[in-house]
Amino acid sequence: MKYKDYYSALGLERGATDDQIKKAYRRLARKYHPDVSKEADAEAKFKEIAEAYQTLKDKEKRAAYDQLGTHRPGEDFQPPPNWQQQYSGAPFSAEDLNLDLSDLFAHLRGEARRGPRGAMRGRDFEVAVPISIDEAYHGTQIELDLNMPEYDEQAQLRRVPHAFTARVPKGATDGQRLRVPGKGGKGINGGPDGDLYLNISLRPHPLYRASGHDLYLDLPLAPWEAALGTSVEVPSPGGMLRLKVPAGTQAGRQLRLPGRGLPKPREGQGDLYAIVQIVLPSVITEPERALYQQLAAASAFDPRAHFASEAGHAR
Amino acid sequence: MRVELHEMIWFEQHVLSLPELAEISHLPPAVLEELMDYGAIEPIAPATGEPRFGAAALRAARTASRLRADFELETQALAVVLGLLDRVDELRAQLHALQARQPKSHR
Repeated sequence: MKYKDYYSALGLERGATDDQIKKAYRRLARKYHPDVSKEADAEAKFKEIAEAYQTLKDKEKRAAYDQLGTHRPGEDFQPPPNWQQQYSGAPFSAEDLNLDLSDLFAHLRGEARRGPRGAMRGRDFEVAVPISIDEAYHGTQIELDLNMPEYDEQAQLRRVPHAFTARVPKGATDGQRLRVPGKGGKGINGGPDGDLYLNISLRPHPLYRASGHDLYLDLPLAPWEAALGTSVEVPSPGGMLRLKVPAGTQAGRQLRLPGRGLPKPREGQGDLYAIVQIVLPSVITEPERALYQQLAAASAFDPRAHFASEAGHAR
Repeated sequence: MRVELHEMIWFEQHVLSLPELAEISHLPPAVLEELMDYGAIEPIAPATGEPRFGAAALRAARTASRLRADFELETQALAVVLGLLDRVDELRAQLHALQARQPKSHR
């Protein structure tokens, strides 16, 4: 089992007072709480902080934790010989490398129990499930690998790997959540099992940007294509599509391909929008340059005519 | 050997009674009722008969439960924080939608 230094997780010395512990937690919780924080690794950091606080704020748990001695964080260690008998609410095997330090403090010996016969509800688990736009489009089979704490037949505490598979139907979008009742942490002493929550997120795609069930795609055009109009091939998650670009198409115009976006859960589909961009090649050859100069001479187009009339309004 | 998860319920499919919402979110029913008084959690059906709750209430109740445990907030503060988080979610969604419509070269 790997050691975790709960004092340093809260930025404290070993002899910290209860007041110092509380203050340290409050400051760090505000900084890293996932609902409030803008820090990059907020969720992981907050988990550490909350775990440390849960143990150190409780007199008995803190005493039990201190008895484990000091070790290097991340170091594999064994609790002292009599620790299990004295403190642990459930027997565990010190050789079990999967065990997490927090499991030891989940139930201490003599701790006040809730529910009849000390029954306690299992913990809820939440898992992030990133999927690609193509997977969202077609539906997908996902695989989850979780290590969850359990009590075996000898009421011994262990972390058991669980391998799940689940079908995510098409129509899932970014931010949608699924609840899987009873598939979270196991209940204790006959208490109910906790729930498993799956949080779907859409991974960024090199081509498409999703907004709800609609997809946005940049459509680069050469200046002559925008001026003269053309027919282009446009990719979509459902396959290549042909799109007619009208003559005189301006940059920024959104060309709509109805029903080619992401499927909606029951029926229908969002739309695909191709956003026109007018692009120049990075290298213009001499013959091309000559043609552009001809065009410049032949055209009376003034794209900045409005500067003169509207600038006057500033006075 | 992978266990196939069959009973998966989208948040949008949930229609819960008050006791069910309380149990799933681990919030005491009294706190839930108080949050309803503040308008922080709203039932889907009109106020006749037993209230029923859907996805929005489930999200809010779970967030409230987490905030209550992590920050030791009492209910009035919870209601305010839930309101602010709603606003943050709205803004985030608007921003995300705007960014989706922006061609890459303009970012």
